[in-house]
Amino acid sequence: MRWRNTGTGLLWISPWIVGFACFTILPLALGVWYSMTDWTLLEAPIPVGTENYERLLGDQVVHVALWNTLLYIVITIPLLTVASIALAILLSRPARFQALWRVAVFAPSVLPLVALATIFKLMYDGELGVVNRGLDAVGVQGPEWFASETWAMVAIILMNLWVVGPAMVIYLASLRDVPRDLNEAASIDGVTWWGRLVHVTLPMISPVILFNVIIGLINAAQVFVVPYIMTGGGPNRGTYFWSMYVYDAAFRYGDMGYASTLGIVQFLAILLLTIGLLLVGRRFVFYRGAMP
Amino acid sequence: MRESSGRFIGLVFLGGIALAALGYAIFGPKPATAVSGDRIVLNYWEKWTGSEAAAMQQVVDAFNASQDRVHVNYLTMSSIDEKAMLSIAGGAPPDVLGLWSFNLPFYAQADAILPLDLQGIVAETYAPAVRPLVFDGDQQLAGVNTCSSVAVYVNLTHLDRAGLDWRNGGPPRTLEQFDAMIPHLTIHDEEGNVEQAAFLHMDPGWWHWCWPGYFGGQLYDVETDTATIDSPENIAAFTWFQEGQRRYGRDALRRFQSAPTDNPSPYRNFLTGRLSMTIQGPWMARVIAESAPELNWAAWPLPGPVGSPDAPAGPIECDILVVPRGAPHPDEAMEFIAFTQRQDMVELVSSLHAKPSPLMDVSADFYFNHLNTSIAAHEAILHSPNGFGTPPVATWPEMNAALTAGVDRIWNGDEDVATALSEVQAEVEGQLERARIRRQRRGQERFGARP
Repeated sequence: MRWRNTGTGLLWISPWIVGFACFTILPLALGVWYSMTDWTLLEAPIPVGTENYERLLGDQVVHVALWNTLLYIVITIPLLTVASIALAILLSRPARFQALWRVAVFAPSVLPLVALATIFKLMYDGELGVVNRGLDAVGVQGPEWFASETWAMVAIILMNLWVVGPAMVIYLASLRDVPRDLNEAASIDGVTWWGRLVHVTLPMISPVILFNVIIGLINAAQVFVVPYIMTGGGPNRGTYFWSMYVYDAAFRYGDMGYASTLGIVQFLAILLLTIGLLLVGRRFVFYRGAMP
Repeated sequence: MRESSGRFIGLVFLGGIALAALGYAIFGPKPATAVSGDRIVLNYWEKWTGSEAAAMQQVVDAFNASQDRVHVNYLTMSSIDEKAMLSIAGGAPPDVLGLWSFNLPFYAQADAILPLDLQGIVAETYAPAVRPLVFDGDQQLAGVNTCSSVAVYVNLTHLDRAGLDWRNGGPPRTLEQFDAMIPHLTIHDEEGNVEQAAFLHMDPGWWHWCWPGYFGGQLYDVETDTATIDSPENIAAFTWFQEGQRRYGRDALRRFQSAPTDNPSPYRNFLTGRLSMTIQGPWMARVIAESAPELNWAAWPLPGPVGSPDAPAGPIECDILVVPRGAPHPDEAMEFIAFTQRQDMVELVSSLHAKPSPLMDVSADFYFNHLNTSIAAHEAILHSPNGFGTPPVATWPEMNAALTAGVDRIWNGDEDVATALSEVQAEVEGQLERARIRRQRRGQERFGARP
């Protein structure tokens, strides 16, 4: 009976199993194989052992892409976390047109990233740019955003804040789950709003924070569309990220073997960082289900 | 009862999806490789859009009307080089591909395109600078759609206003004469901001690889298969390039470039009269006619240490036609390409693109009413022994990426020219070494090594 149930269960999830095997496991396995080949895509792959991995260690472009990606991760994740929690707290309070404000914050997330990046590219642009025109109106000369490595990176990070919607919605739902009696008890004990936030609310939603940070990390480590459209990686590779190098190696340089190596290393790095975050999370995340 | 009706609706829904999928498989779109009526259908992928695509459509229509055996199905698309690569790798390429001349070495190196055998066409059919862009030794690998050379577009009103006598003196003949014009054409406002710039090397910044060519330098030596990026000629060229920024100051230029204007195009500074001179391709004539018809302009070859008014230097690029490996109808594809190489067809598409003809023989009608009134300047560069293209190397996209980063450092003044170029040289040497190892593994001959 038990085996029959298992068989029925497997049959029902078989479409997913087939899809997962064909579109995740098989490409990953092939990626590992291709990462150890010299493959131009237009010719048959030739096995080269660990040559691509050795090349990666001495590749200056890899170092630049790695630094930019880490910088982006380190800046965007805290910024996104703080912004989305702050917005969730703000929007959880009773207010007129509350639903409208929530929709307004979430709406940009519905737009395709390509469209958003194109719009922002125009907004930052010197000639049409709403940003520089706005700055101009208050007497500030805006920078030429994409001419300087620093400002180009700032432009991409600021644009990224525009899509706080999904994380904010998850925080909003988790805030509703914080037991009201805990906050009330803290209030009666004279704890301030800030104290309640730090000692009650944030610990209660910490599993959700960990979840959002992990999702944010996975997304940030694969950042591609926005810099590809807005800056093309420049100037001087100042906004050149790891995923852009994977793409360039594969489709612009015809070096699919090396692109596979870069992709496998990226996958392993994200996996290790995620495991690391989960381990760190054990110390700082408070699970209510685990209460004695 | 409710359960069975729900099940029935579910089955009907699933059946509907299955029927739709079956219908799509049978009647849905298919690659047009099959015979249409009595005709063989050729699929031709091209990269152009808008009026440029429409110009080529006229050639396709003329071919389709010229015979009743082959029909060309013309499809324009973006990112064509990447799609071409995937289609060839996947074994389902079109019959004819419209690429850029700089794509040729990579595709040829990988045997991904077929050698062409076009009746009546030899290397001498094309302008000298065009030949190495479509031939590997004596073997023709591509047909030419259009060609463009890059010249300096000049706002003549600015020159008049600055008292520069171009009517009697003619265009500048030397780089010194060109540089001497710059202070006269530069205007600062009361606060010291640049109001009108004379010439900016990075506006629009599409040909940053071209400067060595004006100084007798090159980025790659095809004879020895070595990078020559940090050669003295190239250092001289990029020093002149960097002076172009230092003349105004980096911050002043950034303020100038970020100032709001009312023209959204990459040509905005020239079209709005904020920039007196800019390097551009021959299509600029069409852009000016459409966006700033009141502009009084002319195009001249940019003078340099190399070249002369009779044999000016300048970069040359071509749009090429190739038959990819695995093309379903290679013979018919070559028949179509041969048709596009006819003088009347080349002139038709070139004139509609406002470009010079890539052929040696040009009809008198071609120049009559040409969209670009300065076409002679572009023609002179195209037929000059000092015209030059991108390095004929399979790793050009990677080499170009390294050079772009180096050029950014030079332009921003982050590094001195020699240091920046030596860094690019080291990076490119690594690329060429990898390409050499790759060829050895496959027993391939280097593109350009064929006599």
